[in-house]
Amino acid sequence: MTILQEKPSEEVFTEPQYPWRKVNPSTSITNSIIVVLPISIFALSFFLTDLPGALLFIVIFLPVQILVAIFATIWGISKKRVGDAVLSVLSLVAFSFVIALMGSVLFSVFSRGLPAISLSFLTQNNTYISPTTELDYGGVGHALLGTLMVVAIGMIISVPLGIASAIYITDMKGRLAGFVRFMVQAMSGVPSIVAGLFILAAFILTDVSGFSALTGGLAYSILMLPTVARTSEEVLKLVPKELRDAAIALGSSRARVIMKIVLPTARTGILTAVILGVARVIGETAPLLLTTSNTNGTNLNPFVDAVSTIPVYIFQFLGSGYPTAINRSWGAAFVLLTTVAILFAIARIVERSTKKG
Amino acid sequence: MNIKNVRVPSSPQDVHPNKPGDANVHLETQNLHVWFGKRLILEKVNLAFPENSVTALIGPSGCGKSTFIRVLNRMHEFIPGAALAGRVLYDGQDIYDAAVDPVNIRTKVGMVFQKPNPFPTMSIRDNVLSGLKLAQMTYENSEEIVRTCLERASLWNEVKDRLDASASSLSGGQQQRLCIARSLAVSPKVLLMDEPCSALDPGSTRRIEDTIREISSDMTVVIVTHNMAQAQRVSDYTAFFLSEDGAPAQVVENAKTEEIFKKPKDSRTNDYVNGLFG
Repeated sequence: MTILQEKPSEEVFTEPQYPWRKVNPSTSITNSIIVVLPISIFALSFFLTDLPGALLFIVIFLPVQILVAIFATIWGISKKRVGDAVLSVLSLVAFSFVIALMGSVLFSVFSRGLPAISLSFLTQNNTYISPTTELDYGGVGHALLGTLMVVAIGMIISVPLGIASAIYITDMKGRLAGFVRFMVQAMSGVPSIVAGLFILAAFILTDVSGFSALTGGLAYSILMLPTVARTSEEVLKLVPKELRDAAIALGSSRARVIMKIVLPTARTGILTAVILGVARVIGETAPLLLTTSNTNGTNLNPFVDAVSTIPVYIFQFLGSGYPTAINRSWGAAFVLLTTVAILFAIARIVERSTKKG
Repeated sequence: MNIKNVRVPSSPQDVHPNKPGDANVHLETQNLHVWFGKRLILEKVNLAFPENSVTALIGPSGCGKSTFIRVLNRMHEFIPGAALAGRVLYDGQDIYDAAVDPVNIRTKVGMVFQKPNPFPTMSIRDNVLSGLKLAQMTYENSEEIVRTCLERASLWNEVKDRLDASASSLSGGQQQRLCIARSLAVSPKVLLMDEPCSALDPGSTRRIEDTIREISSDMTVVIVTHNMAQAQRVSDYTAFFLSEDGAPAQVVENAKTEEIFKKPKDSRTNDYVNGLFG
């Protein structure tokens, strides 16, 4: 007796294929119903009633969309997948909501800020400019330099301190680690104006220093420190204990374990910590009103005299109420957003190039 | 002969089957007790590791073998709640003496871990040299060191053309051999290995066993293993650890590997090496 062997298929495959992407024709009809039906009901109710769209969205669209998804899943696929369907609907709605929010913020800053942008707006300062001066004259050059100075001073103070306290908590495991962590957490709740008031009371009212970029940077560092320290702590915890063990077993001192192994391994995360710290403060206005004050001219000396910054510049012109002044504020907001984006991009590029090297 | 290297047996259990004519012992423990918190883990461990020999530590999981070898290079103290009594002598000196710097001990007593742990941010070459840099040792001719160490760890042929590639691009078995090469670079006198092959394929395991045999010509090796066949292949001596009914673990039997596997004196050793429990 011989075993009958099925003739193997001789089809020739030249292109990669993705069989799991095939769509069942009946499912594709179901899918289009899931997408079209709730939106049509929502649109109908919107045009036929006077109720606000947001209310209809929550009361009509969301429940209908979830119900349709549930029935379509039971009918078209399986009862077991109902949870997937509901979760997909909810997460898609939440996702669209967040994207719409961010998009609308970016859109308003771009659409209103872009008309104000010109080379003179970026390079000139505010001397001899009144709230009614045309946009062709004057700009945020002095405020941009001021913001960069204040943020740089904040970083110089808070980044080493933040990383050091994270190392104390994770690697040194000192006696006071719990206390330090608690204090850092408590500090993250400090309102920004309180940070400004503290520097005002401690340095400026006591005549240790006048208004300056340095006092602004000190106020910023109070706000940045908790973010840098907390984030650094989290990323240092992610460095595997095995790597620390390996270095210790090779006869390394603890300092070298931290400097040569732990910090280089956590480099990307530490950079994220610094970026989050900068992002935390760069738009803060209140502490700067109390510590850097404001000026119309360019001040490049970080230690002496008031300095202008973009958040304070925005505040200054927004308060005046004149249309050209408000346009200046939008333009400054655009410059601030772009500056943040450029700073972050530079950080990522530097990080990537050092990784290769 | 250096007088401080001559051992004086301090208890009946301490009599160790040294190689004939070689009384040199680099490392030994005397009446060692180990705790975690209040719980006694190891009790009365007297083991001596003759120079340039391979000793296998066998026994069921959780009986304190890994803890024991971490005691031998002062890694034990990093575990919260760790405590210890008794003596660990390296070249006649108690390594837990207050005058001893643990960092120096660890350059002489190296360690290879169960899970391969090369430094992911470094190249293969820098991983081999990392110990020298971390321990702040002076060295010349780094190319020669890299080559010799990788050859001894039988990894050279596989990586000689890509020494600057990241260590994380290697397979698990290659990573473990890289870790061995890294340990060899600081020229330790003793190498502790904590189940170095437990996560590896047979090919890498065989190469690592060859390496162990080769380095034991000028290095004392202590290896924890759950693989009976491996213990027989690589070791000169075998110590059997056992913890019975939650009691602290003790060394049940300690002898030449042949005797442990062919004619064990203790019935529990016999049962264990023949796979009747554990």
